Amino acid sequence: MKFNFFHLMPWPDYPREPQEWPVSNKDFDAERGRQLYAGYIDTMAYAEECGFDSIGCNEHHFSPYGLMSNPNLIASSLVYRTKRANLAILGNLVPLLNPIRVAEEYAMLDVMSGGRVLAGMMRGIPHEYIAYNVPPSDSRERLREAVALIIKAWTEPEPFGWEGEFYQFPSVSIWPRPYQKPYPRLLMSGTNEESVEFVAEHRAKLGIVLIADLNVARGNIDHYYKTSRAYGWEPAPEDILIGHHTCIADTDEEAREHMRKGLEYFHHILMRPQRSAQQLVIQKTRYYQREGSSDRFEARLATLRARSLEEQIESGSIYCGSPETVVAQIKRVHKALGHGVEQFTMKVGNMPDKVVRRGMELFRERVQPALKDL
Amino acid sequence: MAFERKETRVGSGPISYFVGGSGEPLLYLHPAAGVGISKPIETLAQSRTVYMPVTPGFDGTPAHESIKSMEALADVAASFINVAIGKRCDVIGASFGGWEALWLAVKHPDKIDHLVLEAPAGVPAGGKGGLPSDPAELRKKLFAYPDRAPPMTKPMEQVQGNRRMLDHYGAASLADGTLSGRVAQIKAPTLILMGSKDQIIPPETGRYLKAAIAGSHLAYVYDAAHVIESDQPERLTRIVASFLERGEAYIVNWGSSSASAVPGGVRR
Repeated sequence: MKFNFFHLMPWPDYPREPQEWPVSNKDFDAERGRQLYAGYIDTMAYAEECGFDSIGCNEHHFSPYGLMSNPNLIASSLVYRTKRANLAILGNLVPLLNPIRVAEEYAMLDVMSGGRVLAGMMRGIPHEYIAYNVPPSDSRERLREAVALIIKAWTEPEPFGWEGEFYQFPSVSIWPRPYQKPYPRLLMSGTNEESVEFVAEHRAKLGIVLIADLNVARGNIDHYYKTSRAYGWEPAPEDILIGHHTCIADTDEEAREHMRKGLEYFHHILMRPQRSAQQLVIQKTRYYQREGSSDRFEARLATLRARSLEEQIESGSIYCGSPETVVAQIKRVHKALGHGVEQFTMKVGNMPDKVVRRGMELFRERVQPALKDL
Repeated sequence: MAFERKETRVGSGPISYFVGGSGEPLLYLHPAAGVGISKPIETLAQSRTVYMPVTPGFDGTPAHESIKSMEALADVAASFINVAIGKRCDVIGASFGGWEALWLAVKHPDKIDHLVLEAPAGVPAGGKGGLPSDPAELRKKLFAYPDRAPPMTKPMEQVQGNRRMLDHYGAASLADGTLSGRVAQIKAPTLILMGSKDQIIPPETGRYLKAAIAGSHLAYVYDAAHVIESDQPERLTRIVASFLERGEAYIVNWGSSSASAVPGGVRR
């Protein structure tokens, strides 16, 4: 099993429950921001020393949820701070961006890092479409066309034009081309049948985070295998990434205490403002085209919010405890899902960075060695 | 689009008003220049019945003896809604009319559905902005594009009379400390529009209102000075029509699927 160290770069000091999205930035403390970036990037680079196989960035807009509005900037700061770890860029919300720019920046990062880029082609969570004023109803088709264009930009040997539905470029020839041949491996999110089919069609790695029910996740993975075969290829376990909020501490009690506080901040401060904007999008547009998908999306988030810490551990939504406890939890989830990549979000909400770092060290010393055979 | 001039009476006196278009009612409270039928109003009237009362004392109409403040004017507007429209409605207030609309929303929340404020006056802006007394200077600050400004068809006497009414209503300073303390009571879905080049009502006003009115939205209309309707009629119409049609969900881009539902076929 491989391990990805994922970071949201949250703003940890928001003083009250934000009531609207976008969240007003009038109280943003620039010096605090400078310190946070420095500390977070140090921690992400430290993940390589702690044995993680890759380091994950992502993209979010307009709230304290995350300070990474452009994951490529963070990835580029990690390129020369790391030597071995892959850069799992689980952002670039492709339908919101200029696909040629995405192709260029991924290619730059891939060349700069000597081929360590895992290229996320994300559709983005619903409310992000408001941030960049893109019609959510077009999200799937924009993603489809943008990915096709990006692959073309990475692989065409001669300058070419693109006359699409959403994108028109009369002449394209990006410099540099990617380091990896033919191009970096793609990763996409798949949390319902509709999106899983899209991932399989693109022969991309499958990412699933915020699991509320292991059986539902297992169903999505089975659907991924089945659909991939129909598209003529066979995914390997390392093509499946499963993400968990994770707290590893010296004792179970200590871990639970930290996780409880971190999740409280995560669900009630960081996730709160986008809920109303999200509902606007999923209720009033065709962001989810298949019947029931939007209800399931909202139900999944509501379930996670409402569960106690113990219930979240029991349901396989989070990992929390001493190293030995977490090893047992991972083995149980692995038995159910058979995935080859485990992603830890160890900075949960406003969890103190020293707790995160202690957890990373415990991972290196007592978790990873115990999972060698997975 | 033809607008018809009519007369009605409220408790304090007679009200002259213009009405045109068809559809759900929309009350338009005019700026200090008096009533004018701009391109955005004409476009909105394709899908709404637009009511434009003449504020007593403006455009040669008589003032009402008992009405001497912006707050009292809002009571007149509420009475006008009762007698001329007969039900709650969306309200647009431009500049001076925005001030009146703010008081209307504070004092008569049951009369207002959606509230649109175009560069509203009445909120202290830390000494910034204000009306220049020199007419040439004023014109420069009203319009980023004077060539798009409506022709001056009103007699000079009326123009001067309109200006005098600002003093009559205690509105010459453009600031109303009592109102500022009460705008947080506004519950109507509110859109605050500011011209990106407005030097009469500065950005501080928009920011103040956005922070004070819960759930309100603030938008800058690019390349417009104070009279947004004249400088950028298409941009103004696009955002106002979208907001009036969809309320807070106007921030979501609907794509092309609903273009026909917006007056003039504009998309957002």
